[in-house]
Amino acid sequence: MELGRPLRQAPGVEELRTYLLRRLLQTIPLLLGISALTFLLLQLAPGDFLATMADNPQVSPAALEAMRHRFGLDQPWWTQYLLYLKNVFLHLDFGESFSRHLPVFTVLKTGLANTLLLASAAALVTWTLAIPLGVVAAVRQYGWPDRALSFVAFLSLSVPEVLSGLLLLWLAASTGWFPVGGMRHLDHDLFSPAGRVADTLRHLVLPALTVGLIPLAGRMRQMRSSLLDVLRLDYITTARAKGLPESQVILNHALRNALNPMITLFGFTLGSLVSGSFVAETIFSWPGLGSLTLEALNTQDQYLVMGSVLMASVVLIAGNLVADVLLALADPRIRHG
Amino acid sequence: MRGRAAAACVALVAMWLLSGCGGAGTGGSAFVDHEPLPPDTMTTSMDELGRYGGRFVAGTTASPKTFNPVMANETSSSDVISLMFQSLTDIDYMTQEDIPVIAKSWEFSDGGRTVTYHLRRGARFSDGHPITSEDVKFCYDVVMDASDPSFHSSMRDALTMDVGGKQLPFTFSAPDSYTFVVTAPATDALILPHVANLRIMPKHVLEPAWKAGRFASSYNTATPPESLVTSGPWRLKEHLENQQTVLERNPYWFGVDAKGRRLPYLDQVVFRVAKDQDVAAQMFHAGELDGLDNVKAEDYKKYTAEQQAKGFVLHDTGPSFYTNFFWFNLNLVRKPEKGKKVGDPKVEAYKYAWFSNRDFRRAVSMAVDRDAIVRGPFYGYATKCWTIITSGNPRWYDSTITAPDLDPEGAKKLLDGLGLKDRNGDGVREDAAGHPVAFSLVYNGDNKLRQAIATLVQDDLAKVGIKLTPSGLDFNTLVTRTRHEYDYDACLLGLGSSVPNDPGMGPNFWKSSGLTHYWNAGQPHPETRAEARIDSLFQASIATTDLAARKAAYHQMSQILNDECFVIWLPTIDIRIPVRNRFGNVHPSPMPHRILWNSAVLFDKRPGSKN
Repeated sequence: MELGRPLRQAPGVEELRTYLLRRLLQTIPLLLGISALTFLLLQLAPGDFLATMADNPQVSPAALEAMRHRFGLDQPWWTQYLLYLKNVFLHLDFGESFSRHLPVFTVLKTGLANTLLLASAAALVTWTLAIPLGVVAAVRQYGWPDRALSFVAFLSLSVPEVLSGLLLLWLAASTGWFPVGGMRHLDHDLFSPAGRVADTLRHLVLPALTVGLIPLAGRMRQMRSSLLDVLRLDYITTARAKGLPESQVILNHALRNALNPMITLFGFTLGSLVSGSFVAETIFSWPGLGSLTLEALNTQDQYLVMGSVLMASVVLIAGNLVADVLLALADPRIRHG
Repeated sequence: MRGRAAAACVALVAMWLLSGCGGAGTGGSAFVDHEPLPPDTMTTSMDELGRYGGRFVAGTTASPKTFNPVMANETSSSDVISLMFQSLTDIDYMTQEDIPVIAKSWEFSDGGRTVTYHLRRGARFSDGHPITSEDVKFCYDVVMDASDPSFHSSMRDALTMDVGGKQLPFTFSAPDSYTFVVTAPATDALILPHVANLRIMPKHVLEPAWKAGRFASSYNTATPPESLVTSGPWRLKEHLENQQTVLERNPYWFGVDAKGRRLPYLDQVVFRVAKDQDVAAQMFHAGELDGLDNVKAEDYKKYTAEQQAKGFVLHDTGPSFYTNFFWFNLNLVRKPEKGKKVGDPKVEAYKYAWFSNRDFRRAVSMAVDRDAIVRGPFYGYATKCWTIITSGNPRWYDSTITAPDLDPEGAKKLLDGLGLKDRNGDGVREDAAGHPVAFSLVYNGDNKLRQAIATLVQDDLAKVGIKLTPSGLDFNTLVTRTRHEYDYDACLLGLGSSVPNDPGMGPNFWKSSGLTHYWNAGQPHPETRAEARIDSLFQASIATTDLAARKAAYHQMSQILNDECFVIWLPTIDIRIPVRNRFGNVHPSPMPHRILWNSAVLFDKRPGSKN
C-alpha cells in the first residue's frame, strides 16, 4: 500500500515535520473510510451478536428483543455508525465489547502487544537469515551454496503456513523440546527473571519460525538479485581494479547500495506485522490480536472487530510511514532527488 | 576462532532453551487448613479419600468473557464460573436429582408453590465474609430488577411464570439470616432448578456497583483477582486473556470429606486455551493438559490402545445428552410480506403439501438407516435415540417411546399412497403436478459430523425416490435463515442439554408458541390438534411435583411428537473422556463441564509430580 508521495528532498527537520503532519492528516479520511467499510460489512454479514443466543431454547423472544435494544442492534446501521463516530470523536470512546462488557481497548491491548512480539521475532528470523544467505547465494552465484539455497527457498515458499506450523507443532509434541503452544509455562511467575525470559523465548521459537520462514525465500532471492545487480556496475569493477580484497568490495561497496531496495521491503514488513501472524497464532494458541479478532468476527462482537481493524490499520499506516522515512534517510539518490 | 566461539554460544543458548526451566510445580507445599470449619459443613461422598496438593489443567477453546454469573452466556465463561460460584441447590450429575449446597435443606409448602430454604450456618465467601440470606436476597433482587435492562433478562424469564396469560414473577423474602423463602405464582415442578439457575454473589462487594448501574460490567475479566469474591470451592488467582485462567482453593469453603477435612483437595484448577480440538489433543499427549472433554469418535480406538502406555484412562460416560435431528419447514407467514399473505406457508405451496403431510414425514423417517449412521460418522460409538432425553439420563430416559425406524419398503408404499410416483423414470418421484420430490437440507457446514450425516441421509432418501440436497451454511447464516427468515426446506441440527436435563426445561421447544419449536415457531394458537395436545401435556408435566405424573405426561407428549414425525430423530454420540490416571475420584459426566463438575473431590495421587 503506497500512501502519499515519498520524500524527494533532503529531510531537514522543518520539512520532515511538515511531511509527517501531512501524512498524519491523510490518515484521518483513510481511517474513516476503513471504519465505515468495516461497519457496513459487519452489517451485511448474516446474523448478529445475539444469533447464538437465539438458538438457545431457554432464551425467550422478549429477552432477545431487550438485549438487542440494549446493544443498539435494533437501530439501522448508519445510526449505529454515526453514534459510534460521535463517541469516538467527542469522548475518545471506542465502544464496549458485547461479550465482555469492557472497553474494546482494554480487551485488545495485551493481544496487540503479544502479536507485535511474535511479529518482531518473526521479522528477526526472516531478516537475520535472509541477508547473509542472500549474500552468500549472490557471491557464489550458480555454485552449490546458491543451488542448495534456491532449493530450500522454493521448498519453504511452497509449503503453506498451516502445514509448516502443524509440522512444527507435531515436532514439539513428539520430542518435547518445545511447548505445544501458549506463551508461558504454568509456573512462569515462579521462575527467576532469566528463567522467565527463557520461558518466553522457548514458547516464541516455533511460532516465530513458522511466521518468519514464509517471507524468507522471497527476501533471500531479492537480496541475491539486488546484490548481483550492484556487482555488475562499473564502480565495483573499479574497486576490484584498484586491488581491493573481494570481501571489502562486497561488504563496504556493494552491500550498502544493494540494501536500499531491502529497506523498502522492510518497511512493508512493518506494515504487515499485525496481519502476518494470524494463522500461526491459531495453531500455536498464541494469545494475540488474531485470535481475538477471529473470535470477535465469529460472534459478531462488532465494536471489538472495529477496534481491532482500526488498530491493525494504524500499525499498517505507521509501518508505511516509517518505511518511507527510512528510505529517504538511507538512500542518497532519493534524498538528492 | 570467532566462528567457534559463536557456535558455542548458540549451543549454550539452545541448551538453556531446551532444558526447560526446572518447573517449580505446585507440589511440596502441603495445604494446612487455618480456618475453623463452619457448624454446617457439606460432606461430599466420593470413591476414595484424597490427599492435598497438585493441580488439574483442563483445556478450553476460549477464555472466559466474564466472571459475573448473571452475565455469562456461553460455556467458556460458565465452565469457569460454575467452579467459582454456587447456588442454593445443585443437580447431582450422576442421578440428576436436586442436592443441597448453600441451602442445607428446604421444604415445600402451599401445594408446592413455596419453598423455604435453610442456609448453611457459618458458610463464608472467599474473603471470609459470611454468606447469609441478605446476600441471597440481593442476588434475586438484582436479577428481578426490571428497571435495569443492561443484562440478560433470560435469567429473569426463568423466574417468571405465565399464569392465565399474565407474566407473574416469583417472589423472594428473607425472614431471618439463615432462611430464604421463594414463592412461585403457581405450582411448578422446576422451582428448585429455576431458583438454582442463579449463583450466589456477595452483596457487600457488588451492591455499590448495582446501585451505580454498573452491575453488568462488574466481575469482568479485568477485575483484580483479590476483589473477585466467590461462593464456590474456587476463587480466581490469575487470568490471562487467551492463555490461561488459574483458580485456587477458596480457603473458607464449607465442603468437607468423610473425615471432616476441608475440600477441595487440589491446590489449583487451570483452564488453558487451546483454540482447536487437534491442538488440544496434541497438548494432552505432550502432558500439558490433564484431560480432554472433547475427543472425536474416530479417535476413540487410538486412545483406548494408548491409555495404558501413556498413563491415562479413557472414561466411558455413555450417550451424550446432545440430540441430533432434522425437521421440515412448516412455518407460516406471520407478518404480511411481498408476494405472500399472512397464513401462507413459507415454503412453496407444493412442498408444503408434502411436508405438512404426516405420512410423508413418516416415510422420510422410515427411509433413514440410522444403523449406517452409527457405523459411519460415529465409528460405532453412538446410540439410537427417539426423544429429547437420551438414554444417558437415568432419571428421565423412557425406552418405551417409539418412532418409525428403517423400513424402505414401507416408506415407498406410503409415498405411493400419497400419489408421489416416479412418472418419468429418472429415479425421482414427482407429484401429480410434475414437481420432482426434491428439497434441500441445511446444516452448519463447519460441523464435519453433520456433513457426513447429511450425506448418508441423502443416499437413504435417494433409495426411496426422494432427492435431498445437503447444503452446509455458516452458523450465523443458518440461524438467520431458519430462525428469522424461515427460508429453508429442511434443517439438520442438534440440541444441547439444559441443566438439569429435564424435559420441563424446554418450553420453547415443546410449546407451539415457542421460538425453538423449530418446525413451526411462534404459533399464535396451536395450529394442529397434535400440537394443541402437546401444549397441554407440557403444561401438565410442569404443573405438578409428582414425578410419576410428570413422566406420564412426558411419555405422551414425546409419543405424539414421534407419531407426527415433526422431528426426525438421529443417533446420538457416545462420549469418551480421557483423563490422566494420576487423578482420583474422576467421574466425567455428559453434562458440561464434563470432567470438572466434581472438582472439589478430584485429587492428585502423586502431588508434586511434574505434569
